[in-house]
Parts: sequence; structure tokens; C-alpha cells
Amino acid sequence: MSGLLPEGASLRFTGLDQPLRIHRALGGGTQGEVYAVDCGGEPLALKWYLPACLERDPQLPRRLRQSIALGAPSADFLWPLALLEPTAESRPLIRHPRAGFGYLMALRPPGYVGAHRHAGGELEISLQNVLRASFRLADGFHQLHLKGLCYKDISLGNLFLEPGSGRVLICDNDNVDIDGQGGGSVLGTPGFMAPEVLLGQAKPSASSDLFSLAVLIFRLLTRHDPFRGRRELAIRCLDEPARRRLYGEEALFIFDPTDAGNRPDPTEHAAALVTWPIYPRPLQQLFEQCFGPGLHQPQQRPLTGQWTQALSRCLDQRQICPQCGQETFPDPAAPGPCWHCGAPLPRPLQLQLPQGRISAAAGNELLPHHWDALAPLALEHPLARLVSHPDNPGVLGLQNLSAEPWQGQLTNGQTIALDPGKTCNLAALQQLHSGAGPITVLRP
Amino acid sequence: MPFPNVRLSNRPLHFIYLCDCSGSMAAQGKMQALNQAIRQSLPGMAEVARENPEARVLVRALRFADRADWHVQEPTPVQQLQWRDLEAGGITAMGEALERLAGVLQSPPMEERALPPVLVLISDGQPTDDFETGLATLMRQPWAQKAVRLAIALGHDADLEVLQQFIGPEPPGGGRSPRRPLQASNATSLARYIQWASTAVVGAASMPASRVQEQGDSNVNIPLPDLPPTLLDPTDDVGPLVW
Repeated sequence: MSGLLPEGASLRFTGLDQPLRIHRALGGGTQGEVYAVDCGGEPLALKWYLPACLERDPQLPRRLRQSIALGAPSADFLWPLALLEPTAESRPLIRHPRAGFGYLMALRPPGYVGAHRHAGGELEISLQNVLRASFRLADGFHQLHLKGLCYKDISLGNLFLEPGSGRVLICDNDNVDIDGQGGGSVLGTPGFMAPEVLLGQAKPSASSDLFSLAVLIFRLLTRHDPFRGRRELAIRCLDEPARRRLYGEEALFIFDPTDAGNRPDPTEHAAALVTWPIYPRPLQQLFEQCFGPGLHQPQQRPLTGQWTQALSRCLDQRQICPQCGQETFPDPAAPGPCWHCGAPLPRPLQLQLPQGRISAAAGNELLPHHWDALAPLALEHPLARLVSHPDNPGVLGLQNLSAEPWQGQLTNGQTIALDPGKTCNLAALQQLHSGAGPITVLRP
Repeated sequence: MPFPNVRLSNRPLHFIYLCDCSGSMAAQGKMQALNQAIRQSLPGMAEVARENPEARVLVRALRFADRADWHVQEPTPVQQLQWRDLEAGGITAMGEALERLAGVLQSPPMEERALPPVLVLISDGQPTDDFETGLATLMRQPWAQKAVRLAIALGHDADLEVLQQFIGPEPPGGGRSPRRPLQASNATSLARYIQWASTAVVGAASMPASRVQEQGDSNVNIPLPDLPPTLLDPTDDVGPLVW
């Protein structure tokens, strides 16, 4: 790749004490190029813009400075760290008559893959981790919006996932701005843009973010598109005017509860028909709300906090189908049939905590917000995890992940000690006394 | 258990090269430069195809000299394409090439539903046959009208006027534009344009990219990405060095 910056060279930039060593180009796009660099021994990434970008978007340096000053909303953002302009002696080394500018950010750690690979069906990922990724995405936007910012251009292209953990990285944060500030030229990505932005009636904002976020969560959870149903089949050439109709002028949610005019086609849109029934009604209802009344009335769109709450509850009621082994997310009070094999699901054993109930299935986690009403909804720092016995997967236990020993009471009245890292068998357990509050076993 | 093995249904994106293989292409290594440029562009094109779950990128190539003929006849997934060298010799049957192209853009053999095809015409000279009739035949096909049509002029003898006719109406104003013939004066700029067409343009035609204001392109069916920058390269734009 014949890049803008000389690979192997050390360049000085205004505002940086030490020179940056340019290792290698990581990629390029229509905006500019990204390089792996070294800053005093610390490996970082450098995005370098083509000068044409600044002409089209003169507010870009202002936005970047603002974002750098405000700091990242959460650890899930690959946030700009420093704005860089070349010093006079570096300028001639840059292979463009107008040198341009760039910003520093952390390198994307290995193991994260583009969300488009999930949409393309190329990733092995559990349903639990897809839900975790969706939670973290919604939570990232929650933190961003709480800071008074909006993202403007979320799509599959700027989200990365770690399939083994459901962690996410939100990249390309250079359009982020204070919500309601007019500057900036980005409109979004067709297919993810809110209809009012696609049709040129409004500028991107926090409320258009809410629409794009719902589209992206839908695409993660279903591997399908919320507006591609029968109406897509009538489109021969899927080009810009066709997309404007499909996602703007004539947009109709494929699972709209009142208008069945755009239902998925059983052969062309099989993914949607397989995956939609996996999710519990409260989560489906958020999509129906956002893509129904929220389609043309931005104030009707579910807020980020509603998404994190619905996704977190969905994770809490995860249970494994005893017939086929597939992950299911039914209402514990009325589980119904397994979405995968159709076998009736049993009512699960549940754990009652001060602030929530968790269905007992290996892999489900007990989190600080299950004890503490004031703790933010988060997936980090679980205090306990449901695990299978290593030799007998049929035996389910609860592992103490906290730093304190817990006291357990068995159904026969006996008490046991559960030291940190240890697991107790749920079959005999009545109640556990953790430092933060009790965990009671509810049998169906 | 993993996520169910399902995915968003995709549509074919037909990418077709039309390569001038007339005798003049043998001079000063032009034919070799084109073969190299296309071959080198394939990994990047395959990567773009992989990143676009909505598209199934299928490549074909037509060669034209004394006659027009398929060089890669079967629509081939880009990941599987092995580029065989084109050879130069003969005159410039560009009109016949457009007729052959028209034949494959009618439905059938074209699928009922697809993404806009991308057609890339590369030439270093002037048509020696009936270009006008060939173009008229081509443009009667709805898929040709919907297609993204690009043209690369090799060297200074290419007929910019016919290439512009292939692309469509010239955009207003001056300067470089993807809706004008791209003038490759040396092997480096040829490679850069081929790479741009096979990556950025394929991306734009398959999965829409982030959209900005002032693109002023709202009446076209596929907004095209910026052309690759003219890098500060001492061999750039000083006239032909290799040929």
C-alpha cells in the first residue's frame, strides 16, 4: 500500500513530546488511513485524514478536540486520545502536498472482529454473547447520550465484537458531537439512518441515534434487516432510490404487529423467521415500538436505558433446553416450547436476589445490580456464576466469585461455608448469605 | 450452542472488466501492467466482498481486439478468481464488446434481483468498429442503465470522448471525477484506479457507506466514493515514463 505516511520513519507532531514511529499501515478508506505506531514504547493507532476530508468537514478538528477533552463515555469506545498536526520538519515526509492531520487512539486488541462478519453468518458466537454484545452497545450509547453527545453514524461497519466474551468496541468516533450542534457533515449509513435523516428532513442527533441503535441491535440479534421483507422482493435493482423507499418513504417493519404487508419471505428471509421467535416479548416489543410508532415520531423511540433493561432481563432468564441443548430465553413463569426443537420447556429453578431473579442455567451470572438497586446495570464484575460440575454436566452449582466467604443453608437444615472460588451444588441448597444480601433458591 | 446458522440473504453484484487488447497495448508494457494491476487488486477486492454480507461479488472479463470475446466467461466469485494473462494483438472492436456485454445483462441470464452491476472499460485507443451501435444496444438493457459504468484511459491516445459516452453525461465543472474517464498515465496510477474500482466502488455498490452532505449526487443511483488521492510521487503526472 502506497500510504500517506512513511512506514518505518519517526515523525514529530505538535503537542507530542516524543516522535511517533510509524510501523505499518493497518488499513485505508475513503477518509484516510490508519497506522500502527509507537509512542515512547507504547503501541497505539494513528488515523491520518486525507486533506479533502477537512475541506468537506471543516468542523472535524473541533469535534475531535472536544471529544478528547470530554474523554471516552466508557471503555467500550476506541476514543480519540490526541489530535496531531505535523511539525514543520515532518511535513515534507508526508506524501501529500497538503500534509493533513490525524488523531491517536488505542490499538484494537486482537480477538475483536467486525460485526459485519456476524451479520454475514461467519462467526461462531453464542446467543448469550450476542445479547451481551447488544447490551454493551446499548450501554455505550447510554453513557454517550448521558454526556450530552450523539454518535450520528452507527452501523455494522464501526462495531467490533469479541465472540468469546460478547465484549464490543465502538470505533470511528470522529463524528461524535454535542447533541443539537449543527456542525458536521455526516448523515449516517443508509440502512441504519433514521427515516427523517435519510429523507433529508432532520440532521443526525441523539434521537436518530436511537433508531440506528435499534437497527444495529436487530441486526445483531436476528442476522437480518428490520425492513427487508416481501417489499424487498419487488425491487429488482437494489440501488439508492430503492433503499430510500425501503428504509424511508415506504419503510414498514417486517414484524409490524398491525400491518403484515412486509413479512419475511420464507425462502429469501429465512434468517428473520428463525431468529425472531428466540427473544422474549418485552424485547420484541421494543423493536415494534421503535420501528412502528418510533419510525416517524422520534420521541416514541425506546431509550437506551429501556434497551439495557430488556437485554439484561433477557440474559437473566436464559435457560438451556433439556431436549436439544439450545439456549432459550423464555418467561420463567410460562416457558412455552423451545424455539429450536419445539419441546416444552420446564419451569426453571430460579435464584431470588434482592433486585432480580435469575434462571438457573450454566453460564448465567449474578451481578452487583442484582443485589444493589443503586448499582448501574452492567455485565462486569459478576459476584457469582452458575456452573456445571466438571465431571457431571447434569449437576448445576453456584460459584462464589466474590472475595468473601459465604454461608449456605441446605434444604435439610445443615449449614455450609462457601469460600471464594468454591461452588456449591444447587440441588441441596436452600439459601446463601452473601455479604451483599441473600440468594434464595426458588424451585418450580 | 452457537447462534443459529442463518444469515441475511444476499444479492449478486456483477463486476465486469472490458479490456482493450488491441496491438497498441503490446507497446511499452501496457498489457503486462494491466494484467498485474488486475491480479494485484484481487485480494483487496476479496476482502471487500467478505466485509459486505449483503453482496455476492461475481467477476467476469471481456477482451476485445479483432473480435470481442469472453476472457472470464463464468461469473466467478472473486475469492476463486485466478487471473490469466490477457494478450495483445489486433484492432479495437469495442462496439462488439458492448454488444456482447448487452447479451449478458438481459434477464435471463441476469438474475431477477441483484445489486447494480459495476462495468469497467479500459482502453488505450479508438474503437475501430461501430461503437455507437454497440453502445445503443447496451444501453437498451435496464441493467446497463442501472450499472455503475467506469472507464480508464491508458496513456494519451485513448479516445476520451467515446469513454465518456460509455460512462454517461459528463458532470458539470472541471477536475477529476469518477464520472469522467480516469486517465492513467503510468503503471502506478493504473494500479491505483483498478484497485479503487474493485474495492471502493464495489463497496459503494454493495453496501452503502457512510453518507455525508454536499455529495450533490442525489439524482444518481449509486453515489461514488472519492477518487484515490494523487500522492506526492515524483513519477506522477509528468507524462509517460513507462510508455
